[in-house]
Amino acid sequence: MTMFDRRFLEHFDWWLFLSVLLLMAIGFVNLNSGSAATGYPFQWKQLQWYIAGTVLMLSLVVFFDYRLLIVYSVHIYLIMVFMLILVVFIGKTVGGSQRWLSLGFMNIQPSELAKLATVIVLSSYFYHDDRPQYGLMDLWRPVLLMLVPIFLIYHQPDLGTALFLVLIFASLVYMARLQWTSFLLLLGSAIAAFPLVWEFLKPYQRNRIINFFSPERDPLGAGYHISQSKIAIGSGQILGKGYMKGSQAHLNFLPEVHTDFAFSVWAEEWGWVGAVILLGIFFLMLYRGFLIASQSRERFGAFLAFGVTAMLFWQVVINIGMVMGLMPVVGIPLPLVSYGGSSVFITLIGIGLLLNVKSRRFMFQKGTRTR
Amino acid sequence: MKFKVKTIWRVKRFDRLDQEANKRRCDIAILIMFLCLVTFCARLWHLQVVQGEHFREQSERNRIRSVRLQPPRGKILDRTGRLLAGVKPCFNVCLIKEDVRDMEALLAKLSPLLGETEAEIRTRLGSGHKRPKYIPIVIKRGAEWETLSRIESRLFSLPGVFIEVTPARKYPYGSIAPHLLGYLGEISREDIQKKRYKGARSGDLVGKCGIEKRFENDLAGIKGHRRLEVDAGGRLVRVIDEKPPVPGKDLYLSIDLDLQQASEKAIKEYVGALVALDPRTGRILALVSSPAFDLDAFARGIDNEEWQRLNDPVTRPLQNKALQGRYAPGSTFKIVMAAAALQECIINKNMSLNCKGRFRLGRSVFRCWKWSGHGQVNLYKALVESCDIYFYQVGLKLGIEKIAKYAKAFGLGSKTGIDLSNESSGFIATPDWKLGRHQEPWQEGETLITSIGQGFTLVTPLQMACLTAAVANGGTLYSPVYLEKMTGPDDHIVASFESDPKNKLPISESNLMIIKRALLGAVNDEKGTGNKCKLPDVLVAGKTGTAQVIRQDRRRQDEDLDWEYRDHAWFVAYAPAERPELAVAVLCEHAGHGGSVAAPIARKIFKTWFQIQSPLPVLIPPKTAFNVNGVNDHV
Repeated sequence: MTMFDRRFLEHFDWWLFLSVLLLMAIGFVNLNSGSAATGYPFQWKQLQWYIAGTVLMLSLVVFFDYRLLIVYSVHIYLIMVFMLILVVFIGKTVGGSQRWLSLGFMNIQPSELAKLATVIVLSSYFYHDDRPQYGLMDLWRPVLLMLVPIFLIYHQPDLGTALFLVLIFASLVYMARLQWTSFLLLLGSAIAAFPLVWEFLKPYQRNRIINFFSPERDPLGAGYHISQSKIAIGSGQILGKGYMKGSQAHLNFLPEVHTDFAFSVWAEEWGWVGAVILLGIFFLMLYRGFLIASQSRERFGAFLAFGVTAMLFWQVVINIGMVMGLMPVVGIPLPLVSYGGSSVFITLIGIGLLLNVKSRRFMFQKGTRTR
Repeated sequence: MKFKVKTIWRVKRFDRLDQEANKRRCDIAILIMFLCLVTFCARLWHLQVVQGEHFREQSERNRIRSVRLQPPRGKILDRTGRLLAGVKPCFNVCLIKEDVRDMEALLAKLSPLLGETEAEIRTRLGSGHKRPKYIPIVIKRGAEWETLSRIESRLFSLPGVFIEVTPARKYPYGSIAPHLLGYLGEISREDIQKKRYKGARSGDLVGKCGIEKRFENDLAGIKGHRRLEVDAGGRLVRVIDEKPPVPGKDLYLSIDLDLQQASEKAIKEYVGALVALDPRTGRILALVSSPAFDLDAFARGIDNEEWQRLNDPVTRPLQNKALQGRYAPGSTFKIVMAAAALQECIINKNMSLNCKGRFRLGRSVFRCWKWSGHGQVNLYKALVESCDIYFYQVGLKLGIEKIAKYAKAFGLGSKTGIDLSNESSGFIATPDWKLGRHQEPWQEGETLITSIGQGFTLVTPLQMACLTAAVANGGTLYSPVYLEKMTGPDDHIVASFESDPKNKLPISESNLMIIKRALLGAVNDEKGTGNKCKLPDVLVAGKTGTAQVIRQDRRRQDEDLDWEYRDHAWFVAYAPAERPELAVAVLCEHAGHGGSVAAPIARKIFKTWFQIQSPLPVLIPPKTAFNVNGVNDHV
């Protein structure tokens, strides 16, 4: 194994680490308010996960070398598929879809793990299959790899996460440089396939999409969540209603205040100023993530860092876009701010990998030799 | 495995080109991310700053429900403080449309509970496009106990439905003086638009007529409100603040419950009106219009069929005939004629005229009601026996201008000034009017029939009552009042009401005395037309009237005529003659002779009144002031 090197500390990304700590602090404070609204002490459980996840993250930086993942990506892929299949048979059903695996002391959500696993597996694939540009025909293997988890997750049903995996795939294909012609072809066929997909959608899913385009159609029905979320955010005005004083959240007009609509709670209580500060911290985290990918000296690290950052980026965009009424309702949590053990762990492991890539950059610097 | 792990450290490094390409891609990603950040910040600015006020309002509306607190409506009491109209709780089933998610399902559930069809409920919900949001709609007013308990037990499955308690009218003595009190009804759209009543909104009950309407603002009190914080399920979180309602003021009427009840009972069989007032003060003691309507029925809610019945064009139960009914005064008008003639020195009390039963004017013949004639008639006899020929001649000498002048001075042809809307002013014709209206000159024959209270002249029972009171009290014409006082919550008097003396009758005291003595004779003499009103222990003075509705060429019995062609029966009277306490005017539509129909009704009223005044047998005022059986020369 690697010996501890002083250069780890030199290359440790303090900005990234700081942004993560800030996000966890905000997450805890915000969840404290959300918990008061719902009456369950979510914030203490979340705090345990924050601590455990941070320990895991830091030990990953110190005791793990991300390059090992190149080898273990096959195992990771198989474990992910195995768990997703397990969900089909012994998964716990919550809210109409079978998403959870019970481990006794905690429930884990394999579809959350699948997000990170997909990043690792695809990075590993593109590391091995190194070519300057990809055509459509060069992609059939990774597509096949992806179809298995996507199908299993879609089957749960969890359309949001399934589409999310497609987004991660697309992000990494972008990183791998797709030919323009192939890109246009893909885009065209996606648009052409939309009516077909529409047929496969469940009525509630179709409703969500319709409601996204005309939210005032049924303010007390399916569009209720988004209307209330917009009211919550808007009523915060510039400085917010004050901590623990968000009437939308505390009087239960907002649904899911601890998970999907955590951002709305924050924006209601802290106003535009607070919301922009939170967005700024996310921006800092993602910026450092992309910077790590940009500065990586080798292909796997670049793909891994880019994939993890893209994964976080899409989660932030989709979640915040949704609560502000810019996107249809999809159950994607806001990284580190939303309540949820699996999400927190996956995010912190991802950040750990980012720090890992950054900290080991020195190994590829000029004048140093790899062992 | 060990081997693989060893080899993995030797990962391929980027060459320079790859490194640059890699950096470019990441830079584009950072750019895209930055654009997203800007978009989000702009969107937040739009939501929180541009539309912030709007959303803040919406969140407040989400959070705060304002509940109105209805004040109890002011009571209406009679002059002795007996409760005519009180307040009881009324349970309404209400609905807030915005809280209903599935209106169809709700209506299907409500319909059997209320025992009404869905369509009926739906009409009550109305289209409501312009209706403000979150305002409850009353879908069942005054629900029965049984209905209430059925709904109450299912409230949890009826989102948006709740039961509201509002004060409603109760009438402990039954429906007393309905025309005077008036009833409540749902506020009209027009009233809301014109903001006629402060703080009222659709579905509220307001006075629709009578006192309830006139004193709506005093009786209604001031509505309070309570602001509640509720959660998404509409459950109460806390009370934010509360402004208690101010109860309505109580009204003490000058109406005497006993007299009113007796009056209503006395005139019940007829279509007509009755007014009794205190000639000393101008206060109304009883005011009846017949047929009556049931106030309780209005409090419950009136169905269409009943409404049709109340709007019957012949009997007109909703019309307050005492104020709004316009009738020819008939022979009661002879009081005015006598006063005018005496005052203008056309006659004196001793001058006699001959009555042969007929009077020729040009080519027309005018008859006395007594076709055989009265023979030699002086003023006393003319009033006692109501001779028409005497007054034809007097009227001719007076001329229509003088007649009209005196009639107006006696309060006819103008409103009495009672504080109620829709009072009719009656009508007194003049030659100028006829010329203007019909482009015809005044005929002398018209002067003749005006002299006996026929023709164009129209009066209301209230006007006649005031006139009688003025004669009784020595010549002061009052604007009648029906109120004693208005009291606030702790019985302190907010306002008291006195009637204003409108004017003095233009007649000297001695002349008035001549008339009064004749009126006394009209009731107490054997030949007096009003002797059916004679009371054993109290001296009543009065004058009958029989107003023709159609011209009769032949003498016909009333019974032969269709109802609507029969004569109106009038009787005006006051008692005790020496110190009048009560003046009464009775009118019965198409009932026949004043002496045979109206006078007995008045008698019952006097009887009741003097029983109330002295329930124990007490001294009756001595019959010394007047000589009953003839003209007293010394007076």
